[in-house]
Amino acid sequence: MLKKRTYTLISILSVLVLIFIWELCTDILGFVGPNVMPSPLAVLQSLLYKMDHTSPDGATLIQHIGASLQVALSGYAAGAIIGIPLGIAMAWYRRVDLFVRPLFDLLRPMPPIAWIPIMIIFLGIGIASKAAIIFLSAFVPCVLNAYSGIRQTSQVHIWVAQTFGARNTRILFKVAIPSALPSIFTGLSVSLSCAWSALVAAELLASSRGLGYMIQINRMFGRPDLIITGMLTIGIFGAVLSWCLNRLQKLLVKGGRY
Amino acid sequence: MGLKRINKEALLSGGASILAFLLLWQWASSFTQVGQLIPGPVTTLVNFVRSFIVPIGRHTIVYHVGVSLLRVLAGYVLASILGICVGLVMGWFRVLEAIMKPLIEVLRPIPAIAWIPISIVWLGLGEKSKLFIMFLSAFMVIVMNTYDGARRVDPVLVGAARMLGANDFQVFKTIVFPASVPQIFTGLQNALSVAWMTVLAAEMVRSSEGVGWIIVMGMDTGDTAQILVGMVCISIMGFVLAALMRQIERKLCAWNIRGV
Repeated sequence: MLKKRTYTLISILSVLVLIFIWELCTDILGFVGPNVMPSPLAVLQSLLYKMDHTSPDGATLIQHIGASLQVALSGYAAGAIIGIPLGIAMAWYRRVDLFVRPLFDLLRPMPPIAWIPIMIIFLGIGIASKAAIIFLSAFVPCVLNAYSGIRQTSQVHIWVAQTFGARNTRILFKVAIPSALPSIFTGLSVSLSCAWSALVAAELLASSRGLGYMIQINRMFGRPDLIITGMLTIGIFGAVLSWCLNRLQKLLVKGGRY
Repeated sequence: MGLKRINKEALLSGGASILAFLLLWQWASSFTQVGQLIPGPVTTLVNFVRSFIVPIGRHTIVYHVGVSLLRVLAGYVLASILGICVGLVMGWFRVLEAIMKPLIEVLRPIPAIAWIPISIVWLGLGEKSKLFIMFLSAFMVIVMNTYDGARRVDPVLVGAARMLGANDFQVFKTIVFPASVPQIFTGLQNALSVAWMTVLAAEMVRSSEGVGWIIVMGMDTGDTAQILVGMVCISIMGFVLAALMRQIERKLCAWNIRGV
């Protein structure tokens, strides 16, 4: 058994070796030309350049990030605010379940991306249609996880609450929802990654600003360095957002291993 | 008796809500301005049935679905084979974990869809770039789930095997692999639905056939009837694929049936 520090060292080394091989193949040995695969140094240069230059795609990296975050967060927030209560209501009240579940199951197998053309026809190519797509992609996991979380409430806990004379709504708020929180947060984090990839898809297809637009338009300009810059930014922001959600979960969810 | 009554009630209320939805849609499309944008459910159904005979673009709907399914399948099979191997190895051998985990963690937050433009630069507009995208989308999901499964193997089982004198490889083969099968299946299931979504995106960005092409072509020509036919088709296939995976899971790991 090696020490923990050794493993960390191996991990760091492995990333460094990868970057070195990348550099070796591009700049030093020239296996692939810069118009196919730019070197890591070139990507870094483009990243710094793009921070405050609008060429060639009409906006700085910061503006692209701002546009994407605005769309993604508004759709995501709407999906969570509508989806979680709906999932809870479906799981707790049988009437709601009976009537909403079939409709929900009917629409669920449709990937949110398939809604893009219809949304564009209804809402135009502005922020509304993209936010609607992201809403749909965040909505479904939120509903599903809130539903299964409430359904998994321990029957014993409900009995205890009933024995102490709690009413149905009180049991819901004091017992079922707190015990379903870890599952609800799982839903939120699944939705987040769904929303983030739906955002990229929506922006690839129709937009004039945003990270997805940036990688698509730079393909047409033949600037792979900017495509990779855009991809890395998408990855970094996806990771940052899910990290924030994780912190929030640690703050809000008490008890349990989560 | 009680069960029967509940089923009947569920059927009735479910039917009622779906009927209400369809009626609302029909009403909106025939009596309001929505009708100028999209056709109603009856027209959509007629169009859907007709698309089996009358080609959309150059091919009938069956061909389009077949093309999309083949794209998904090719990437998916490759990704499952490689993904399960990499995930298991990563979950069990610490040194390999230390080498591969950071690489995968760096790539994981980038959605497969974001790889579409660069894959077109690298591999061209044809099938190769689509295969790459499909592979990537399924691979990440499968690796992460398999890895998780292999990591969460009950240490008591491993300890027992070690006590009985099993070496590293034997423990891996007889305990770690079978114990992570349920997790692997979760991964395979999720990967299939992710792949089905990604193939749409890939086809919508650039292709000349497939279900994604149907809806994006409908958008470009302003033919909403065609978009709806495509969406119905995508939805049915998504449902069929998910149901298929559930059946396979029920057959292959009957000891572990998950809900949902």
